[in-house]
Amino acid sequence: MALVNRAGERSSTPGETLTDRPPSHRWNWLLCAPALTILVLAASGPLLIVLVYSFLAPGSFGGVSWEVSLEGWFRVFFSRDIFDPEIVSLNRAHATIFWRSISLAFQTTVICAILGFPTAWFIATRPAGSREIWLFLITIPFWTNLLIRTFAIQEVIRNQGLINTILIQAGLVEAPLQMMYTDFAILLGMAYVFLPLMVLPLFAAMDKLDLRLLEAGYDLYASRWQVLKEIVFPLVKPGFIAGSILVFIPAIGAYVTPRLLGGGRNMMLGNLIELQFGQGRNWPLGAALALTLLIIVLVALVAYIRVINRQEVAQRG
Amino acid sequence: MGDRSGAAAGGQAAIETRDLTKVFGQGQAAFRALDRVTLTIEKGEFFTLLGPSGCGKTTLLRLIAGFEQPTAGDLLIDGKAVAGQGPNQRPVNTVFQNYALFPHMTVADNIGFGLKMLKKPKSEIAATTDAMLRLVKMTAMADRKPAAISGGQQQRVALARALAPRPRVLLLDEPLSALDLKLRKEMQGELKRLQLETGITFVFVTHDQEEALTMSDRIAVMAEGRILQLGSPAEIYNHPAERFVADFIGDTNFLDAEVTARNGRTVMVRLPGGAVRKASLPEGLAPAAGERVTIVIRPEHASLAPDRDGEGDLEGTVENTVFFGTDTHILLRLPGDTPFTLRRQNTGTATSPPEPGRTARIRVAEGGIQVLRA
Repeated sequence: MALVNRAGERSSTPGETLTDRPPSHRWNWLLCAPALTILVLAASGPLLIVLVYSFLAPGSFGGVSWEVSLEGWFRVFFSRDIFDPEIVSLNRAHATIFWRSISLAFQTTVICAILGFPTAWFIATRPAGSREIWLFLITIPFWTNLLIRTFAIQEVIRNQGLINTILIQAGLVEAPLQMMYTDFAILLGMAYVFLPLMVLPLFAAMDKLDLRLLEAGYDLYASRWQVLKEIVFPLVKPGFIAGSILVFIPAIGAYVTPRLLGGGRNMMLGNLIELQFGQGRNWPLGAALALTLLIIVLVALVAYIRVINRQEVAQRG
Repeated sequence: MGDRSGAAAGGQAAIETRDLTKVFGQGQAAFRALDRVTLTIEKGEFFTLLGPSGCGKTTLLRLIAGFEQPTAGDLLIDGKAVAGQGPNQRPVNTVFQNYALFPHMTVADNIGFGLKMLKKPKSEIAATTDAMLRLVKMTAMADRKPAAISGGQQQRVALARALAPRPRVLLLDEPLSALDLKLRKEMQGELKRLQLETGITFVFVTHDQEEALTMSDRIAVMAEGRILQLGSPAEIYNHPAERFVADFIGDTNFLDAEVTARNGRTVMVRLPGGAVRKASLPEGLAPAAGERVTIVIRPEHASLAPDRDGEGDLEGTVENTVFFGTDTHILLRLPGDTPFTLRRQNTGTATSPPEPGRTARIRVAEGGIQVLRA
């Protein structure tokens, strides 16, 4: 993966590294055993259960009945006519929901990148003392529950909320601007929730950036934009990749923010999956949908990294 | 001080500064890094700014490069005032102390970067890059990344990268300080060769006096933001004008002396022990007879006199001798408890060193005595 390549390049300077040490630390791996145990139990275990459930038939009152069935997977892509189950058509509703979620996650990632880049740059160029304060401020949203934060955003943008009250009082608008339950509200909420996940890895990458390289760029006749494009962007790319992954993957499954700020008019993937395990009482379909999401994310990730590595090769050539 | 003959010969100087001043910070915390520096660097010159860390040499270099803007004073590059111009507008390139090679680009791309930014045609960039790779003997490494080549090779790439756009002036910020001794010696020769081959004006910053003496056409010795002395290596070494310069460059004996007579640029001085000798004066100093001055005598300008009376010899007691391989240092004490070191070259003929406690006569070579300004 690109991330790994980068790290490898950096550490290729001579000198003793952890891996160069004599093999007297044969039991070192035990250090990560507790984390490994949790990962196996909390991630692989449930994943396996979901995989098994997706090939079973739904139980009448939720849960699963233990008979093998491909109906869950079938329903992900196709729908049956209510009156005649033999009439099969492509499940356009699911396709729309998948597309909507992916597109929202993509937009969220782009907005976070656009907002996060200058923010991270600002923090990275502060003197050592105030830098910690700025980083601390960036992490404050993590301190509060997601629901509470989302309701707080509602309070700001609803019709009788902070922004509209100010605008009306100032006489700038006559009727309140409809911001709640719009795509704008959803994107605002998503960007707010995920921005720190973009800023922190970008900051980490920028922090390592040797500012003398920028001076060298200016010295060699580069304009500000060229320094950004030729030196800064390529060197903070690992941070950008990490940030994009950290934002895109959770954003694709996000459902609290779209529902509360979007008013639940447009169903998201998260909502759809939740529905199958709740009122829908179709656990195999829910499991199959969840796995489809996982596969889409994996494919997108691999494609993304391939494209980026290819660009790198092209630049070198 | 220094020679300005080149400037008078017509054509602009490569670099000219007038009362160039740089103050960092404000009020109480203000730090005057550069204090009214006026100097002229000629075209094609290998010019060295020499001084200890914090003397302002790097600040002066950064002002010329355009990374900093002066607080006061004028700076001319190629006869044109460059006030307000950024580093990307000045026909000047820098070799950075840590090389600052772009880690994500190959050696060849690093070298071609400046030309690429200048929007030169691809064919020209490729041709110049090839020529530069040959010039610094790095053709075999063209496709490597900087992390995959050695420190000395990175140094050469940094040089090639800065030379590729053919700047009017090349600025070098202690470029050899990260190299080990052997490599540094090699690169000193290499730098000098590149400078002669390209004919580009080099402004070289260093705190290493030996580097400065071996490579430079002229040296400006700096301390506390000012230029203390400017001249050829031989001038600076043989005729230091100030105590700081004498002390910073080479080993020196400082002696108190009394002026007995003055005759133009030379004076007669009475040395400790009573001997009267001729000494040269620094510019701007005209001591009257009877005045006390400090003089310097380089250890290698003195020798042990054979045991017979010589006019103007010093007399001292041998304290110790230290063998250095190429030469032997003989430490003596003069009347008035003044220490004196004398350097005797090892010529291969075995002369036994004088025994400690013995009285020895010291003969100072003609022209080996210099009066200091302060």
